[in-house]
Amino acid sequence: MGASRFEFRDVWEYITSNQDYLIRLMIQHAHLVFFAIVLGVVIGITLGFLSAYYKPVAAVVLPFAQIMMTVPSIALIGILLPFVGLGFNNGLVALTLYSLLPIIRNTYTGLNEISPSILEAARGMGLSERRILWRIKLPLVLPVVFAGIRTAIVMIVGIGAIASYVGAGGLGDLIFRGIARMRPVMILTGAIFISIIAIFLDIIMGWIERKLIARQT
Amino acid sequence: MIRFENVTKIFSRGTIPAVSNLNIEIPEGTICCMVGPSGCGKTTSMKMVNRLHSITEGKIYIDEVDNSTIDPISLRLDIGYVIQEIGLFPHMTIADNVATVLVEKKWPKQEIGKRVDELLELMGLEPKIYRQRRPSHLSGGQRQRVGVARAMAANPPIMLMDEPFGAVDHIARVRLQNEFLTLQEKISKTIIFVTHDIDEAIKMGDMIAVMREGKLVQYSTPEDLLSTPADEFVANLVGGNRSIKRLHLIRVSEILNRKVATVNMSDTLEAAKKHVIENAFNVVYVVSDTGVLNGFIGKVELKQEGEFVKDVYRSYPEIISDEATLSDALSVMLSNGESYVPVVDDFEHPLGAVSLEDVFKAVRQDD
Repeated sequence: MGASRFEFRDVWEYITSNQDYLIRLMIQHAHLVFFAIVLGVVIGITLGFLSAYYKPVAAVVLPFAQIMMTVPSIALIGILLPFVGLGFNNGLVALTLYSLLPIIRNTYTGLNEISPSILEAARGMGLSERRILWRIKLPLVLPVVFAGIRTAIVMIVGIGAIASYVGAGGLGDLIFRGIARMRPVMILTGAIFISIIAIFLDIIMGWIERKLIARQT
Repeated sequence: MIRFENVTKIFSRGTIPAVSNLNIEIPEGTICCMVGPSGCGKTTSMKMVNRLHSITEGKIYIDEVDNSTIDPISLRLDIGYVIQEIGLFPHMTIADNVATVLVEKKWPKQEIGKRVDELLELMGLEPKIYRQRRPSHLSGGQRQRVGVARAMAANPPIMLMDEPFGAVDHIARVRLQNEFLTLQEKISKTIIFVTHDIDEAIKMGDMIAVMREGKLVQYSTPEDLLSTPADEFVANLVGGNRSIKRLHLIRVSEILNRKVATVNMSDTLEAAKKHVIENAFNVVYVVSDTGVLNGFIGKVELKQEGEFVKDVYRSYPEIISDEATLSDALSVMLSNGESYVPVVDDFEHPLGAVSLEDVFKAVRQDD
């Protein structure tokens, strides 16, 4: 019985006596999320633009991203095993796939919602499609894409915990070990740290997003 | 000069042509209004000039050069383009919006800044205030002005305008129209002006092309359009009140021939009295030391207590410039409740007066 009862004082004690370990896990976690989001942004924005420019691409990409979201994370990691094996890479691929939907969808809708009159004026004045992309579409769609990236980051910080199941490391380690040893203190510490990272990143991204929007109005 | 030669546009095979066999020549420095109901092909015709639409058959010549031989991008950079929705870029400042084409044309930065200020001033937008604003902070009329300034940035000889004043209320539209006509006298662009409003076409156009179902029905001056409509369709479009429409065509300056004497604020009433009796409307204008029209003295004012002009004079609720049309003059007479209207120049110095009788005579002469 003693193993499942705890007080918050115990959590604090655990944190202070395992500082190095916790910092190492946090760095691992952030590392994984960072590379996943970088990949997600590059792939997501590219696919979002391709979908907005070419209808057949949209017909494949959008449902794919949608389905991706509905696959339970634990199942996705399992599915990936034969392709990327255990460890960091597995977590990276899984998190990247999860980050795609909000980024693709925001890029796609953002581009489609640019008023046609703006584009007609630009075209009529003599801007080439490439110049319209750089001078009009990219800056206009940026805040919307950014909102998508923000959603993706918060989401995969949480999902990142599952990745330690296949040995990708991170704060998920605490949770899985806590479950295995029936030590709620570890589970709680892991959960708290993951939440702190998510909230912290969300605040920063929200701040940047507001700056971007303010610059345009 | 722009010349349409047997121009036909078919959007998809087998369907009715959007524009069929159009032949128009638009002389340099004139405004050609294309008018007709929606779907008549006026906008399509306009968009073939800068190749936003391809031409199915025929040719469009710009200064004798077949426009299909010019690269579309450089063609468009040399043609001003204004649309009803204006399409200002919301993420750019007013200055950056106006500079769009200049940046594409790789003008040096300093010259761009100078040109932008010049254009904003021309459109009556104080550069210091508006340069750094965003389009969302402007009124509808101001946005239209920025739209026109943006189109004129690189001083293109040709402008295409698709219902450019369509998105603002009536009062702002009339003001924009008048301002643009005054501007056109200075800049003399060759303009295709698309509108569905026949009154606007009559007011703005040197020539009017009436279109219906892709075909040109009549191409003539506004005067001819009103006096001899080509068929019933044009007659219906022009409407019943043709004499009233003609009022839009004649400017006050064309019929202004009445002088009105002036007195200064410090003159005595005795001096004013002489002029009032001699004048046809029994008035004398009161001007300031700088010659600006301040008001008037009529028979009623003469009877009032006072020794000097400044003690009794009354100011006019409304005055008009000699650029105004007879229709403007008539409406000011109605609102002032007088049978004449004072006419002033750009500096509000009095030029004379136009009477109800003058207006009647001008319309009758035109018949």
